[in-house]
Amino acid sequence: MITDLGLVRLLQLVSPALPIGMYSYSQGLERAVEDGWIGNERQAGEWIAGILERCQTRTDLPCLSHLYDAWAEGDVASVERWSIHLLACRETSELRAEDRQSGQALVRLLVGLSVERAEAWIRHPSATLATGFSLAAVSWKIPKFEALLGYLWSWLENQVLCAVKLVPLGQAAGQRLLSQLAEHLPERVKAALDLSDDEIGGSAFGLALASSRHEVQYSRLFRS
Amino acid sequence: MLAQELGGPGWAAELKLGFESRGGKTVLAERRHRGPLAVQRPFYPEGEVCHVYLLHPPGGVVGGDRLDIRATAGKESRALITTPAAGKFYRSEGLPARQTVRLAVNDVAALEWLPQESIFYRGASVVSEVDVDLAETARFIGWESFCFGRPACGETFDRGRAAFCWSVRVSGRPLLIERFEVDEEVLNANWGLQGQPIAASLFAYPALPKNLESVRAIAGDRAGFGATLIDGLLVCRALDSQIEPLRRLLVELWRAVRPDVIGRKACLPRIWAT
Repeated sequence: MITDLGLVRLLQLVSPALPIGMYSYSQGLERAVEDGWIGNERQAGEWIAGILERCQTRTDLPCLSHLYDAWAEGDVASVERWSIHLLACRETSELRAEDRQSGQALVRLLVGLSVERAEAWIRHPSATLATGFSLAAVSWKIPKFEALLGYLWSWLENQVLCAVKLVPLGQAAGQRLLSQLAEHLPERVKAALDLSDDEIGGSAFGLALASSRHEVQYSRLFRS
Repeated sequence: MLAQELGGPGWAAELKLGFESRGGKTVLAERRHRGPLAVQRPFYPEGEVCHVYLLHPPGGVVGGDRLDIRATAGKESRALITTPAAGKFYRSEGLPARQTVRLAVNDVAALEWLPQESIFYRGASVVSEVDVDLAETARFIGWESFCFGRPACGETFDRGRAAFCWSVRVSGRPLLIERFEVDEEVLNANWGLQGQPIAASLFAYPALPKNLESVRAIAGDRAGFGATLIDGLLVCRALDSQIEPLRRLLVELWRAVRPDVIGRKACLPRIWAT
């Protein structure tokens, strides 16, 4: 069970106001719109739901779960191993840069919030967003299930906000999409926790292609 | 484990190749096989590089078959492996077919893994893994292309499932782990293959920003093409509705990066022309 204070800390950690710049990353969605793969609410929903199931559930969440356990056990070698593993699953240079930049921003923030173990990860080339997120969750006594759910929620909210800006969609359509997709988050977290280590990793060919093409997109608002 | 030991049907074939540099020339020093997988006598169309054609005499893979291919490029050796024809994966009644490729490249060695495309017939069930283990100063180019269904005769991949895993390690450290599955949903999804039956990836290590620029220049504004450079590994990905244009593109990309990545001008294996 999450404590009242744990819940408040989780809300702080997943808030779009957390100053780690997540609003500047679209993870290929900007190029998918540019190339005409996403042009309406239904196609935006298809894109986000597919990546939620195939990539987030199979890559980010199980790695985050291992990172959480590693921090909880004080096993720094395992934190490093799973951070490297997660980066190796990022299919493009922009997706890797996003994870490294947001990871750096988060560990620096955590140092300022007196999370001492974050110090060693400043300028560490393998610090990912999940590395810092799991450290914050363990330090602030947020249980693992809720931490994974929160991570997934903040990813989903960010993707939907990107779609609202880029497709574009109306605010009401954005909230409708968010509501529909959010319904699946608890079952996705459960599925992720059930994966064995050799099942970890999930890519989407269209995402890898869109992200590669975003690197050469002429006019763009987002960094990924 | 062999399929027979599991009590399953199908062939269990293994092939183990070892390349070694001897007196400025690379020889196929180890060649062991079990079951229907073999290589022809090596060719030397460009002098020191050992070109090898991989043969799978049954001509196709069915459910329960297991192909296990290992190739090791010893220190300073240079080898190129290709296949004389497309790989065919037929409809499976239950057990998936498995193909496992393990490539190890030692220091100052160069290995190229350039098989022709794999065709997945409607209803095929396949697990395919390629695992590349590179030493710090190893050089590598590999590609993989897939055709889902047989577009030329109107057969779509509306039944079946293929799971792929490509992993590349340098000095034991994971550099890329790419896993994806293809079924009817993925084939048609905007985040998947977007309705295109043909997909390909090319990997080259170590690559430089100028190699990224040159492959992008070759592809131009081709829709469904993307290239990226991730921690020294060049990855090109492409989708198409036909195999021929994609084959030509792969060869052009390979031709462009080979001088820097492998240190030699492209020398097309003769078998590709037939």
